[in-house]
Amino acid sequence: MALTKQATSIVSSAEEHTNDVDRESPARLPIAASLILGGLSCIGMLASIWLIFFYTPIDALQGVTQRIFYFHVPTAWVGMSAFVVMTIAGIIYLIKPDERLDWIARASGEIGAVFLTFLLITGSLWGKPIWGAWWVWDPKLTAALILWFMFIGYLMLRSYMGRTAESARIGAVWSVVGVIDVPIIYFSVLWWRGQHPGPQITSDGGLPPAAVLTLMVSLATFTLLYCFLMVLVYQLQRLQTQAQRLRAIVEFE
Amino acid sequence: MQESTYLIIAYAIVWLGLFAYLAFLAMRIRGVQTELAAVEELMRESQEKRDGKDGN
Repeated sequence: MALTKQATSIVSSAEEHTNDVDRESPARLPIAASLILGGLSCIGMLASIWLIFFYTPIDALQGVTQRIFYFHVPTAWVGMSAFVVMTIAGIIYLIKPDERLDWIARASGEIGAVFLTFLLITGSLWGKPIWGAWWVWDPKLTAALILWFMFIGYLMLRSYMGRTAESARIGAVWSVVGVIDVPIIYFSVLWWRGQHPGPQITSDGGLPPAAVLTLMVSLATFTLLYCFLMVLVYQLQRLQTQAQRLRAIVEFE
Repeated sequence: MQESTYLIIAYAIVWLGLFAYLAFLAMRIRGVQTELAAVEELMRESQEKRDGKDGN
């Protein structure tokens, strides 16, 4: 009975959504955007690698291990930004429901989870030689782990609830609650005393100019990579929704 | 382990992870495109059958 109800609602939703979005060719991807963003990400990645390994001087205290920082910080930036994007899309969805906003939120959630996983792994690989431990219950690390669980929880929830308006609404509320953790991660080194290093780019010159340049290039590259992946995952979400609707129509008939 | 080993492992994980995720995405996109083509074909067949009945 419930399944029939759901199928009916999907079919009626499919019939309602015969607008410009659904009339687009399902097999077509925005190739130009993908190529440009993908190409720029590749160039940026090569430039970052060159800057990290051949341009930036070796850190006097931490040695070569410090070079993990140039991938660790951008993964944190992308992971946290992805959660903010997911929340903004969720809030707008709550005000004005539009499935395209939900696709943005879902895409950002998936990509953010990937980058936050990289953040935790690279952080552990830096921590072991520097702190002598893979993990410490430092406020910043704990807050980052909580955000990772928020991402995983979001993805599990959305996957379990399917592509319904209720799922999108609950997902939006979930992200609004979870986004509180983002400023906590950022400011935790200032608010509480922990082992994690504080801000590296300060007015009194925390990092040498070569290291700042490398970090900036790396940050820009990872931002481009995030945009490239967003285009791909957004299109995937669109195609999956179309496939689900068409399947429902075929089964209903 | 030497310090450089941690560095190499960190970069290898990020690179391999990114490539694996891209490959996974490509597979999912190809899968959903195949599914869409199959469902569209089913819809076309069902439409043709309906048109045939209406004609009779």
